[in-house]
Amino acid sequence: MKKKLVAVLMTAAMAATLAACGTEPETENTPADTNVTVAPDGETTDVVVGQGSEDAIANLIAATEGTVDLTLWCSETEAYQNVMAQLVDEFKAAYSDVDFNITIGSQSESTCKDEVLKDVEAAADVYVFADDQLNGLVEAGALQAVTTTYTYNPIEADGAGAVNAASKDGILYAYPLTATNGYFLYYDSNLLSDEDVSSWENLVAACEREGKKVAMEFSGGWYLFSFFYGAGLECNNLANDAVNVCNWNNETGLAVAKSVQDICSSDAVINLGDADTCTQVTDGNVIAAVNGTWNTGVFEAAYGDGFAATKLPTFNVNGQAVQQGSFAGYKLVGVNSYSDNLGWAMIFAEFITNEASQLKIGNATQEGPANLVAAPQIATPAIAALGAQSNFATLQRVAGNYWTPAGTLGQALYEGGLDDAGLQKALDDAVDGICAE
Amino acid sequence: MKNFLQAIKKYFVDLGTAIVKGDIWTKLSLVIFGAGYIGHGQVIKGLLVTALEAGIILFTGKISWPYIAKLDSLGTVQREMVLDPVTFQKVENDYDNSLLILLMGVLGIIIIAAFVFFLISNVKSNYRIQKLKEEGKHVNSFLEDLKSLVNEKFHITLLTLPSIGVIFMCILPIVFMICIAFTNYDAAHQPPSNLFTWVGMKNFINMFSSKGGGSYGYTFARLLTWTLIWAALATFTTYIGGILLALLINHENTKLKKLWRSLFVITISIPQFVTLLLISKMFSNFGIINGILSNIGVTGALQKMGWITTDYIPFMTQKGWTHVMIVLINIWIGVPYQMLSATGILLNIPSEQLESARIDGANKWQIFWKITMPYVLFITGPSLVTSFIGNINNFNVIYLLTGDYVTADASLAASNAKDVDLLITWLFRITADSPKMEYYMASVIGIFVFVVCAVLSLITFSNMIKGDREEVFR
Amino acid sequence: MKTKKAVDMVVRHVFLALMALFWLIPIIWLVVTSFSAYPGIRTSHFFPEQWSFVNYQKLLFQPDTVCNFPAWFRNSMIIGFACCIISTLFVLMVSYAFSCMRFPSRKKLMSFSIILGMFPGVLSMIAIYFILKMFGISDSLVGLIVVYSAGSGLGFLICKGFFDTIPTSLRESAKLEGANEFTIFTQIVIPLSRPMIVYTVINSFLTPWMDFVMAKLMIRSKDPADWTVAVGLYNILQKTLLNNYFSVFCAGGVVVAIPISVLFVIMQKFYVEGITGGAVKG
Repeated sequence: MKKKLVAVLMTAAMAATLAACGTEPETENTPADTNVTVAPDGETTDVVVGQGSEDAIANLIAATEGTVDLTLWCSETEAYQNVMAQLVDEFKAAYSDVDFNITIGSQSESTCKDEVLKDVEAAADVYVFADDQLNGLVEAGALQAVTTTYTYNPIEADGAGAVNAASKDGILYAYPLTATNGYFLYYDSNLLSDEDVSSWENLVAACEREGKKVAMEFSGGWYLFSFFYGAGLECNNLANDAVNVCNWNNETGLAVAKSVQDICSSDAVINLGDADTCTQVTDGNVIAAVNGTWNTGVFEAAYGDGFAATKLPTFNVNGQAVQQGSFAGYKLVGVNSYSDNLGWAMIFAEFITNEASQLKIGNATQEGPANLVAAPQIATPAIAALGAQSNFATLQRVAGNYWTPAGTLGQALYEGGLDDAGLQKALDDAVDGICAE
Repeated sequence: MKNFLQAIKKYFVDLGTAIVKGDIWTKLSLVIFGAGYIGHGQVIKGLLVTALEAGIILFTGKISWPYIAKLDSLGTVQREMVLDPVTFQKVENDYDNSLLILLMGVLGIIIIAAFVFFLISNVKSNYRIQKLKEEGKHVNSFLEDLKSLVNEKFHITLLTLPSIGVIFMCILPIVFMICIAFTNYDAAHQPPSNLFTWVGMKNFINMFSSKGGGSYGYTFARLLTWTLIWAALATFTTYIGGILLALLINHENTKLKKLWRSLFVITISIPQFVTLLLISKMFSNFGIINGILSNIGVTGALQKMGWITTDYIPFMTQKGWTHVMIVLINIWIGVPYQMLSATGILLNIPSEQLESARIDGANKWQIFWKITMPYVLFITGPSLVTSFIGNINNFNVIYLLTGDYVTADASLAASNAKDVDLLITWLFRITADSPKMEYYMASVIGIFVFVVCAVLSLITFSNMIKGDREEVFR
Repeated sequence: MKTKKAVDMVVRHVFLALMALFWLIPIIWLVVTSFSAYPGIRTSHFFPEQWSFVNYQKLLFQPDTVCNFPAWFRNSMIIGFACCIISTLFVLMVSYAFSCMRFPSRKKLMSFSIILGMFPGVLSMIAIYFILKMFGISDSLVGLIVVYSAGSGLGFLICKGFFDTIPTSLRESAKLEGANEFTIFTQIVIPLSRPMIVYTVINSFLTPWMDFVMAKLMIRSKDPADWTVAVGLYNILQKTLLNNYFSVFCAGGVVVAIPISVLFVIMQKFYVEGITGGAVKG
C-alpha cells in the first residue's frame, strides 16, 4: 500500500512540474513541498502533500458529464446547516460549468464514524468528523488520503496541530476545519473572580460560598483524562493503534485520583452530561463549567455581561498545584474513498475548508478556524480560553477500549468514599480495562 | 425420536423405490425435472418445472457459485484503490467482500438445499403419476392442478408468499448471524475495506473464560442473572397489576367503565420510545422529579437517612435505584396492555358458572378465588411465557431508560456492559456503542439468548400444538 | 347495605382516579411542555411559565434541517398503511393454513416458526440491511415496508387460536354445498374474524410509528425528509439539539398520539376481543 502511495506522489509531482502555472507562486518551482509539523506533546510527523494543477480541474470539468451527485454530512446544528448550505451555493457558482446536486445531511460529527462504518459504500461523499475518529476511519479504508491538493495546501494554510491531527503515519487523510473542539472553563465573572477560577480548590470554595455549582462530566472519559494528563501521566495508543498504554495506576495516579475524589466530595461540584449542563446553566444553578465552544451560546445567554471563559484551573497533587490538562480537538473534513465522484468530492472538500469558507463557518458557529489566517479573525472569550488551554492540551489518540473503563473510573471517583486501597483497586481495574487488547 | 428416524428412513426408501421402479420418464426426471410430467401427459406442468430447474441452476452457476467457492476462506483479496491525481480516475482491484461472500454463500447453499429437496419430491411425484397411469386412474390435467391449489392444496397457495418473506427476512439473517459467531468480524475486520475469516470456537471459549480483553464470562453471568430476575419481575408485576386494574374497572360498582379504560389506554397510544425518553428525562438527576422532591424536602430527608450521598436522587444513574426504577416504569408501561387483555377475558367468563355458584350461595370472594382466578390463569397461562420471553428481549425499556447510566463496576465496563443491561441490550451496545464493534461476541450472546427463549417456548407451545387441544372448542 | 355500597363506590372511584392521575402525569407533562414557550427541558416547574403555540407551528409548518415533521408523518403513514395490508394478509393466510387445513408436517412447520420468532431481532438487523441492499431497496420506504411486513407471517399464533374456535361444522357444510377452500376462507372465515383483523391491523399499523432501532439502521439518508416519525423524533433528542427541540419533541409526541389514541378508543372493543379470542386457546 505504501509503495502505491509513493507512486501516487511521484505522479503528482510530475504532473505538477509539467503543468505548473502561476496561481500559487510559492509552489511554482517546488512541485511537492515538505512540511514538518510539531504536535503539542512533541511528537513529530512528516506530512507531504503534492500540489495538483489547475489544469487537472479543467480536465475534470471537461470530463464530467451529466449531474454530479454529492452528499455532505455535517453537524445537525442550525448554524452549521445554514452556513454549509451557503457554501454549497458558492461552490456551485464557482464551478458553474458543472451541474451539481449536493445534498446536505445532518450528522453529528461526534458519532460520524459509527454512521460511516455501518456501510461505507452508502455513506456521504464528504463528511465532517471529530479528529479522534481518524484512526478508525483510516483503518476501515473510509478516508481518501489527501496526497494531492488543487486549490490550496492545508499543510501551509492550517495550524500545525490541526494538520497533525488529520494525519496518520505521515499521510494527510483529511482537511482540517476547526481547531476548537476541546474544552476549557466557562464561568460567571459577576460571581467568580479571576482568583476563584485559578484553582479547583478556590473554585469549589467560591461556589460553596455562592451556594451554586461547578459542573463537569467526571463520568466521561473525554473530560476525566484532563486530570491525569495534567499530572504528567500517559494514556495513548501511539505505540499500537489497537492497544492503549496507560500508567494511571502508579503513585502519582493514586494522588490524582485522591485529589479528584476530594474535589467531587464537595456538594458544589456536580457531574453533568452535556445536555444537563445546558439546562442547569440556563436555570442559574451552575456558575462555572468545564465545557466547549459548541455551547458558547448557552453560556453567553445565561451569564449575560458576566460571561467569561478561561483555561482550566490547577488542582492539588501531593500538595503541589498542577495545571489540569485537556484533549485538543479538531473537526476535520474527510472524503469517502468509496465515493463515485471522488474528484469532485475532493475539490468540494477543499472548497469548504479553504480560508474564506473557514472564516464564514467561524463567524456562523463561533468555532475557531484551523486556518492560520482566518483563526485570529474569530476572537471570542471562548476561543481565547481554548488558546490558553492549548498549551496544556494533547491530541486525542486513544484506542476504543479507553472510553467505558475511564468513564466508570470517573463515576467511581465522583461517587466517592474510597480509601487508598479502594482507589488503587479502582485505578488498577480501569487500567486493566483501558489497556486490554 | 424413534418416529423421527423412521420417518427419515421412509423418506429415502420411498426415493429409492421411485428411482428403481420408475420407468424411463421417471428416471429421466432426475436430470430434467419436467421429463416425467411431460412423458405422462402433463406437458405444461413439466415445462414449468423444467424452467424453474433451469432458473435455479442458472442462478447458482452465474451468481451464487463464485461466493460459495470462497466460503471456506471468506475472501483473500483486500481492497486496493489508486486515484490518479491528474485525471481523477480511480483504479480499484477486484476485491473480496467477506460479508457479501458469507451472505450470498449462505443464500446459495439454502437454495441448493431447496433444490435437492425439490429434486427428491419431484421424482417421487413423478413416480406417483406413473403409478396412477399404470393403474389406469385419472391423471390431473393442468387446469385441475391449478384448481387444487385453491382447494385441497390451498395451503401451498397460502403459505408460499409468507414463506418467501420469512426465508429472506428471518432465516437467512439468522443463519448469517450464527455464522458470524465463528468469525472475527469486528471493527478491525470490517468489509468492504478489510476481510474477516473463520476462527472456529474461539469466541465461545472467550465468552466463558475470564481472561482476554473484557471479562466476558463474569459479565455474562451477571447480566444473565439480572435478565432472568428482570423478566420474572416485569412479567409478574404487570400481569397481576393488569388483572387487578381490570377487575377494579369491570366491577359492577364502577361507573363510566369505558372512560376509565380509555384513560389508561391513552398511555399506550403514545409511542413507547416517546414516553420512555420523556420519563427518563423526568427522572434524570436534575430532572423535574428531582427538582420537585428537593423543593418539598424529600431529598433532604433521604440524605439525613443516609440513603443517598448526592443532593439529588440518582433514579437513573446508580445501581439499585435504577434497577427498581426500571421495574416500576415498566409497570407503568405494561399494566394498561395487560388490563386490556384481562378485560376481554373477564367479560368472556362463562356466565352459567357464575350463576350456578351464586345459586349455591357462594360469596363474592369465593366466586373470585374459586371461579374467576382459575379461569383467568387457565387462559392466560401460556401468554405468561410469551411475555416472559418478550421481557428477556425487552430492548426498548432498558435501552431508552439507561442512556445516562455509567457503571461503577470496572469488569462490566471492560466488556462494555452496564449493571442494568439485559443480554439483549448488552449485545447491541457491543456492536453499536463500542468502538471495537465486536459483532462476533454479540452473535455469541445472541445465540445463547435464542437458545434460552427457544427452549422455554418449545416447552410451552408443544403442549398446545401437540394432542387434540386444537379441537376442544369446536 | 346501601351505605356500604356507597362507601365502596366512593373508595373505588377515588382509588381509580388516583391511579389514573399517576398514569397520566407523564402524559400531562408531555402535553403542557408541548405548549411551553421555552424550547429546552424545564426542571423547576411542572407547568410552563409561558404558554405558546410556537412548537406546533415549528413542527407542522416550519420544517428545518433537522426537523421535518410533515415529511416524517407522511412516510410513517405510507409505511403504516402498506404494512397493515401486507401483514394482515400474511397473518390471515398463514393462520388459515395452519388452523383449517390439514397437511403433512404441519405441526413441525408450526414449531419451527415459533422457534424462528425467538431469535433476537436486534442481532439480525445488520444482515437484513445487507439483504435489502442486495435487492437495491435499502434506504427507501419500500425497504422499510419489506422489513416490517415480510416476516409477519410468523405472528400467526393468536390469530390461529381464534380460527381454531370457529366451528368445523360451518366449513363442513359449506364444503358439502360445493365451496372450495378459497371460498370458505374469503366468504366464511374472514367475515367471522373481524375482531382478529382489527387487532392485526392496529398492531401492524403501529409498528412503523413505534420502532426506531430498525428504522435508524435501515434509513441511511441524513436528509430529514427521508425519515420516519420515530427516527426523526429520536434524532432531535440528541444532546446538541435537546435544548432547542425538547418542546418540539413533546409536540411531536402529542401529534402522533392523537390519531393513534382515537384509533385505540374506537377500536377498544375489537381490540379486546381480538386479543382474547386468540388467548382463549393459547
